[in-house]
Amino acid sequence: MTIKQKLCLLAGASLIAFTTSAFADSTVRVTIAEYSKGTGPYFEEAAKAFETANPDTKIQIEVVPWDNLQQKLTTDISAGANADLSIIGTRWLLDYVKEGIVAPLDEHITPDFRARFIDTFLSPSVMNGKVYGLPIAASARAMYYNKDIFAKAGIDTPPATWTDLKTAAEKIKALGGETYGFGLQGKEIETDVYFYYGMWSNGGEIVKDGKSGLDSQAAIDTAKLYKSFIDEGLTQPGVTSYAREDVQNLFKQGKVATVITAPFLSNQIKAEAPDLKYGVAPIPAGPTGDKGTYGVTDSIVLFENSKNKEAAWKFLDFLFTTEQRTKFDKVEGFLPVNAEESKDPFFADNADLKVFTSLLPNARFAPVIPGWEDIAQTTSNAIQKIYLGEGEPEATLKEAAAKINETLK
Amino acid sequence: MQRATAPYILILPSFVLAAAIILWPLKEIVSLSLHDVNRFGMLRDFIGLEHFRVLFADPDFIAATWRTLVWTAAVVLGTLIVSVPIALILNEDFYGRGIARILIMLPWAISLTMTAIVWRWALNGESGMLNSALRGLGLINTNIQWLAEASTAFPMQILIGILVSVPFTVTIFLGGLSSVPDDLYEAAATEGAGSWDQFRLITLPLLRPFINIAFVLNTIYVFNSFPIIWATTQGGPANSTDILVTYLYKVGFRIGRLGEAAAVSLIMFAILLVFTIIYVRLAMREAKA
Repeated sequence: MTIKQKLCLLAGASLIAFTTSAFADSTVRVTIAEYSKGTGPYFEEAAKAFETANPDTKIQIEVVPWDNLQQKLTTDISAGANADLSIIGTRWLLDYVKEGIVAPLDEHITPDFRARFIDTFLSPSVMNGKVYGLPIAASARAMYYNKDIFAKAGIDTPPATWTDLKTAAEKIKALGGETYGFGLQGKEIETDVYFYYGMWSNGGEIVKDGKSGLDSQAAIDTAKLYKSFIDEGLTQPGVTSYAREDVQNLFKQGKVATVITAPFLSNQIKAEAPDLKYGVAPIPAGPTGDKGTYGVTDSIVLFENSKNKEAAWKFLDFLFTTEQRTKFDKVEGFLPVNAEESKDPFFADNADLKVFTSLLPNARFAPVIPGWEDIAQTTSNAIQKIYLGEGEPEATLKEAAAKINETLK
Repeated sequence: MQRATAPYILILPSFVLAAAIILWPLKEIVSLSLHDVNRFGMLRDFIGLEHFRVLFADPDFIAATWRTLVWTAAVVLGTLIVSVPIALILNEDFYGRGIARILIMLPWAISLTMTAIVWRWALNGESGMLNSALRGLGLINTNIQWLAEASTAFPMQILIGILVSVPFTVTIFLGGLSSVPDDLYEAAATEGAGSWDQFRLITLPLLRPFINIAFVLNTIYVFNSFPIIWATTQGGPANSTDILVTYLYKVGFRIGRLGEAAAVSLIMFAILLVFTIIYVRLAMREAKA
């Protein structure tokens, strides 16, 4: 044998070895978004438990920081190198469905399986009557308030309306010092959502009849309201430099008396500021009693090009058993998506979570429209300009609404 | 015949490799920029220069382009101005020079993203180190919200940019200085040249090629540098601190308009190419003269 022949043989052998090791048993690759330090370990453990019960299937977990998820998926999908299952933001799902990237799950879903879910959380992943994803993570938003600061300012109950909140913030300001009444987020992800809380309370909609609701009176009133909070020193200064984590940190440090955010802040407070006395209350209502919380789900989807759909589905089925869901939601501080799970005393007897679940009937989800991220970006930019005083609320919002209407066409 | 073809055959493998690494992605990007592309990179219809038209009609893109030029010029020139004296000092023979050199180089070993994140904390409006320091010194009474608006955030980002570019640049200059023979200075001193004249007439001209290298390399790095801006402001508020590369990331991966993103990267490539050609030609002409 010449050297060349030997090399060819070796190359052939290694190729065979490679293919067999990768595809001999069915391997299911799963892309996981990292919500917290507990995410990776939880999924590794779940994968092991599943492999023990199904020895012919291998589960390969890939944990990606949430911020890089969109980028990784775009790159992987365009290269055809995507995993079999992946977590995605439900608000991105429509783009995936439109391009035929994710597979409908209906052929697998039995009535029993479907009955496991709380419908509010399953419905955002249903498109054209087909289920394209399962809600792996669910949360809503409520207002956290600092009981000590409220007591000091002589306020007994959490503010029920935005007017109450403003009065409370004024009293807190009158205490002097560097404690602010309303923690306002103005940077990075969910800057737009923080604005919608007020807008929904005022009766506004993100999109109505295919048009942006950003130029509605409700939106303009909200912009003026938030701006008045800023101008009167009722929020922390420099709101446009505070991302969600930053405002949450201010709350943990007792520097802001209220903040609107997700259930997982409770977990963080328990771990990082156990002495903080706080309560959870609904998001303040508007003049006509309207109020809305933001419901968010992330979905786990099955890709159309997966070669292991059966095995992948089996793993999905396993992940959505009550036992697995309970473990996961306890680790992450998310809301139960499984009806059986929500009866677990951990969730049923948790005062904070009860507030969140009580808000769900009013929950609104990001609208299912193509180009949602684009719209969110335009909205955030407009709001930041208003917060900074670089644009009049009305004119800036109208301009943004016109731009969004172009995207919506 | 054989003699004529042999060299070509010999360079063929490296040429193919270079083409695969450089030309193939370029071809892909060009084709992305000329087609309607969905967010997963699948090509649809050919649309010619439409993506470029959309970009040039976008005020955010135009603003980001100008800001990129300001950013690059400020960071590169700032770095050179700071680095020359540091290199001169470190080239002197003094007690503890080794430690001083290590201290200057050390930041180079830390990832840019990490440095940027530490600065994000330092610039925090409530609990940031910079505000505490300025308060401690009695320079300010109320906290400055450094990252809340472009007028304070962008200059700080430029400062951070200079800070992280200094180690690399100083290293190049130290290499250059060590190649200047000592007897030149001795001869100059005997002729009565003062230290300023020595610097102006000996050090600077001999350092010239090294300054050129540092200038070109830094320009390319800084022009394309993503972590500082991204970690501190993500180009915000309202895109007011975006440079082209952060704009590109937003358009490509956040909003999912890969065609426009490809067009942005081609424009960036073209700007750098033109710049490099002009600079190399100038530098060569100078070298000949």
